[in-house]
Amino acid sequence: MATSVLELRNLCKSFGALTATKDLSFTVEPGEIHALIGPNGAGKTTLIQQIYGAVQPDSGQVLLNGREITALGVPERVRAGIGRSFQISNVLMDFTVLENGIIAEQARLGQSFGFLYPAFDDPDLIAGAQKILARVGLDDRANRRVGDLAHGERRMLELALALATAPNLLLLDEPMAGAGSEESQRMTNIIDQFRGQIAILLIEHDMDAVFRLADRITVLVEGASIATGTADDISNNDLVKTAYLGSE
Amino acid sequence: MTLTLILEQTFNGLQAGVTLFLVAAGLTLILGIMDFVFLAHGAQVMIGAYAAAAITAASGNFYLGLLLAIPLTFASGYLLEFLIIRHLYGRDHMEQVLATFGLILFFNEAIRIGFGPAALFSDLPPSLTGFVQILPDTPYPAYRLGVILVGLACALGIHLFVSKTRVGAMVRAGANNPEMTAALGINIKILFRLIFAVGACLAGVAGMMLGPLTAVQPGMGEPLLILSLVVIIIGGIGSVRGAFIAAIIVGLVDTLGRVFLPAMLRLVVDQATADGAGPALASMLVYILMAVVLIFRPTGLFPAKG
Amino acid sequence: MRPVFSFARLTINGMRDNRLLWVLIAGFALFPIITHFADQPFWNDLAMRIMLLGMAAMGLNLVLGYGGMVSFGHAAFIGLGAYCVGISQFYGITNGWAHLVLSGMVCGLAGLVIGYLALRTSGIYFIMITLAFAQMLFFLFVSLEQFGGDDGMSLDRAEFGLIDLYDPLRLYFMIWCVLAFVGLALMFVVRSRFGVTLRAIKSNESRVEAMGLVPLRFKMTSYVISAVICGLAGVLFANWQEYVSPDIMHWTRSGELMIIIILGGLGTLAGPLLGAIVFLLLEEILPVLLGNIAPAYAENWMILFGPLLIMVVMFGRGGLIGLLDRWQMGRAADNDKRGA
Repeated sequence: MATSVLELRNLCKSFGALTATKDLSFTVEPGEIHALIGPNGAGKTTLIQQIYGAVQPDSGQVLLNGREITALGVPERVRAGIGRSFQISNVLMDFTVLENGIIAEQARLGQSFGFLYPAFDDPDLIAGAQKILARVGLDDRANRRVGDLAHGERRMLELALALATAPNLLLLDEPMAGAGSEESQRMTNIIDQFRGQIAILLIEHDMDAVFRLADRITVLVEGASIATGTADDISNNDLVKTAYLGSE
Repeated sequence: MTLTLILEQTFNGLQAGVTLFLVAAGLTLILGIMDFVFLAHGAQVMIGAYAAAAITAASGNFYLGLLLAIPLTFASGYLLEFLIIRHLYGRDHMEQVLATFGLILFFNEAIRIGFGPAALFSDLPPSLTGFVQILPDTPYPAYRLGVILVGLACALGIHLFVSKTRVGAMVRAGANNPEMTAALGINIKILFRLIFAVGACLAGVAGMMLGPLTAVQPGMGEPLLILSLVVIIIGGIGSVRGAFIAAIIVGLVDTLGRVFLPAMLRLVVDQATADGAGPALASMLVYILMAVVLIFRPTGLFPAKG
Repeated sequence: MRPVFSFARLTINGMRDNRLLWVLIAGFALFPIITHFADQPFWNDLAMRIMLLGMAAMGLNLVLGYGGMVSFGHAAFIGLGAYCVGISQFYGITNGWAHLVLSGMVCGLAGLVIGYLALRTSGIYFIMITLAFAQMLFFLFVSLEQFGGDDGMSLDRAEFGLIDLYDPLRLYFMIWCVLAFVGLALMFVVRSRFGVTLRAIKSNESRVEAMGLVPLRFKMTSYVISAVICGLAGVLFANWQEYVSPDIMHWTRSGELMIIIILGGLGTLAGPLLGAIVFLLLEEILPVLLGNIAPAYAENWMILFGPLLIMVVMFGRGGLIGLLDRWQMGRAADNDKRGA
């Protein structure tokens, strides 16, 4: 049996009286797109934070490719192979799209401590950055200041930067949040392209995208997983229906 | 190194501590609730001291000076917030620093114009020039004892206010989570203005009481300001309780350190080195303490934000 | 019609910002010629002060303008550099190169320690901690009686081999050379991979973390570099003044540096130097101005400075360079409208 890309073992996290994560365990297999759904307040983002390293669980373990990373900080986990896109666009607003890509590219290459040559004029970095942008179709927007971009384009850049570190696990936190239907379509297509290449953990409320993209779905309610399975399993699961999809 | 000396210096340390607390209390709330770097807090100390000294000189009565200066400093804080400070909330911290720096320059110069650059000496009130026997054969200046008592009374008053009253609850909520407090519909604008004014008032009281002990001169508040910042760093931003405990600690460490450290050093190293390094080390003691606290608790001993 | 000389090409961003810096530096090189012909050599003194203040401000600007760290303690590094000269001479070391090396090491180390302790915090804490440490160093030097304590110590200009610093022109060009060197170094740093990463950290620290980088390393490195630059300014300042006292590292001097940077333009290469020019000129002009308007209050010219500063903060976005930028953009828009 191949090692799971991501394995969570008995993860627990409480904030005072509020239990955000209850003894949670599941895996993300290589190349699969695993969606995480659940009502608001179910603890999805807190879970992502614990996988990403921004929040430390009270107990339990996080393993990446079989290696325990629970004690590592965010930059170390990123270098170990985790990429993340944020629910609220977390891009570099004061720079152009291309410059965002260049900074990500030089970080990936481990070259950020150079002092002599101008980074934004470096042909290798520019080429690398353009490849990153081309993946999401932003290469024609290269010289726009990020502050001037439309919301949907910013979400694309967010995705591009998440991919820039060449991760083998991608954490997508509501990538389509606030995007129009056309952009959601585009993003769904792009994410689909990565199926089989990168393991993806996807949080989304857009059910069309979830059912189209997900190989497996885990349903989170009040911090605990109430079901894991394929899209069919989930839509036929009574527990899930009452807890979440019931109103439909 | 007699018992009398130790006791006397301990009380001096307490007196320094409560004075620091009065300055730090307002500042920690302003920093914690309004997220505002109010460097000109030292100017409030100065305004209080000058107001009291002027009224005392005019009326001949020290207590009248105190009594009338208190509402004056309250009003000055209130006005300052209304006219200038409230336009700067939410701004970059550096901009707040520079703007309040400008306020310091302005106030110091204004005082210089109004009262001249030389120090104003205000006398001890006749009723408090004597000594009190805190222990048999240990006389201690009555005035300083008075300062300690007033300071402790203020601390108690603030504690009761913050923990028992509704407004106090709002203040605590504001220190813990300003955004949520505003979202709960509490009139943040007035709350901020009142906190500011009360803070100014407390700082002014510190200045008023310090008047007879030190010189009332332009810029007298700045050393206290910086020391209060150290107090707040040690105590935790937004925490009045932290400010109190830290202020007492800082007051004691600073006072006792300056008096006893050189002597203690002489026990360990030779005379010459001790005499050279002693005062230097003593002056840095409080900052070294701050550095140590920072290493283990970067957000202070009792941070208000959970 | 195209203007022969356009400010647009000199102002903010990349190449254009560089050009203004070098125009100013070139200006300082030519200045002594003008004062020689105008027979007003004492203006060179003012120019030297401006260059030194500008140098220190450029150092602080690296962490403040480009790194987004509001450090209130940088005057301490100037002071450390100056005292390196004084204390070395006290112990018989008169070689200027030795002073420079010593200052580099001392300020580098101090920057490392203070940076490490302060940079684990952020926001208001960071400001207060840097302020507190600067004050600590101030009190340290006040209490060191053997080095003059409160009164400071006078010192001789250092020996730099063939360069005799007692010749005012030599001192001037020594300062000028170091200024040019610092300007060159910063120009490279700001555009380099390190520099853009630092600027990215200022813009969005969590995004830089998400790229797999540890922001603290970049912040600390820049802090040390800026400390060393301020130390350099301190060494030269001690030589110029032939005197050093704790006042040079009083926290209000750090405030002055920040004022200069924001006056000229935060996060630009030319801003700090431009700000230093304006600041010191104001210091000369305001007393005269007030003396003419209200002679009784001539000494209190500082009272104009406070409100002026508040106005700049509340209304002056981007300092003088921002102003030039907006003015130029306004003219460009007008030109477009006229179909030029």
